[in-house]
Amino acid sequence: MTVSPLGSSSPEGADWPSDWLRATLGFLALHALSAGPSYGYAIINELERHGFGTIKGGTLYPLLTRYEAAGMVTTEWRAGDGGPGRKYFALTDSGRSEMDRLASDWRRFTALSNFYLDDGQPTKGITT
Amino acid sequence: MMQETADKKWFDELTLELRLRQVPGDAIGDTVASVRELLADTGQHAEEAFGPARSYAAELELPTAPKHEWVKKALWPAQLGLLAFLLFNQAVVPWVRSEVMLVSPAQAAFLATPLVIVALLPLYLTAAVRRIWVLIALVAICVMSGLLSGIAAPTRRADAWLELSPLPWLVGSAAIMVILSIYNTVRGLGAGDEIVDPRADTPRSTGVLTGVFALISNWLFPIFALAMLGLAVALS
Repeated sequence: MTVSPLGSSSPEGADWPSDWLRATLGFLALHALSAGPSYGYAIINELERHGFGTIKGGTLYPLLTRYEAAGMVTTEWRAGDGGPGRKYFALTDSGRSEMDRLASDWRRFTALSNFYLDDGQPTKGITT
Repeated sequence: MMQETADKKWFDELTLELRLRQVPGDAIGDTVASVRELLADTGQHAEEAFGPARSYAAELELPTAPKHEWVKKALWPAQLGLLAFLLFNQAVVPWVRSEVMLVSPAQAAFLATPLVIVALLPLYLTAAVRRIWVLIALVAICVMSGLLSGIAAPTRRADAWLELSPLPWLVGSAAIMVILSIYNTVRGLGAGDEIVDPRADTPRSTGVLTGVFALISNWLFPIFALAMLGLAVALS
């Protein structure tokens, strides 16, 4: 299975369907910023470390650019350690609210899906 | 070496695509610097990490200047300058020879062709920039129409559609060319829309050669008009 349309590949070979990543990458990227400002490569590493595969720059940056335009993320260029500098992305209050809302919706959706896949066996925390 | 060339081509294409989308220079600089930052971190090549430059430019959906702003800022002044230059060329020879300026309908039509081509530029500018043969074809049509207008120029008063005194047209067109060149030069001295690297400590200064090139570009019509005047005087 390949996820080339989204530009992500996992080194373990357990690639996720591109549609799943397309649906979730937005709030996953916002979540990667929840601990504090971060930059492109660090966000990609963070997501890869948690098993989402290697997200390509051509996928991540347009997303972050749209979030910046929507006021959910701010950016700042900071001098690098001996390098030419890095662009840091930081969550705004509106970005944090949106991330919380999407994460909450996602949890409900996955719980509902699990409930259905388990042939209607009770799953904790389902509220539709 | 080949990959460096491929990356350079990719960055050139990205810059061109963003320019075609009327993205401001500082946003282009930010985009290019972001890509360079990630490539330095990952060791990847541009196409591998970001896909085709044209698609990436489209996916970014960066804020753009109003669609027709460049038409007001650049196209109409250029159009007026071209019109003045064409009129100057029609008037200069009769003026040097102390004759009247004769104009025929066919000649006027051929002269109007470059004006129409420039006026319709917004319709095919992107195609002309992306495909060099379109640009060559447009330039060839303009040159051909210029040559044909010379052939169609009436030599006898009986063939002329209009008989005009050349001096007012000569002075008027020269004045328009000079005023437009001054306007463009002054505008160029102000805040431009240069591509700024956000990682640079100081804004990149424009090179001397670039400055000279910009100055010559702004005064191109008056320079060519002077050359035509010199040629007409020499040949008379």
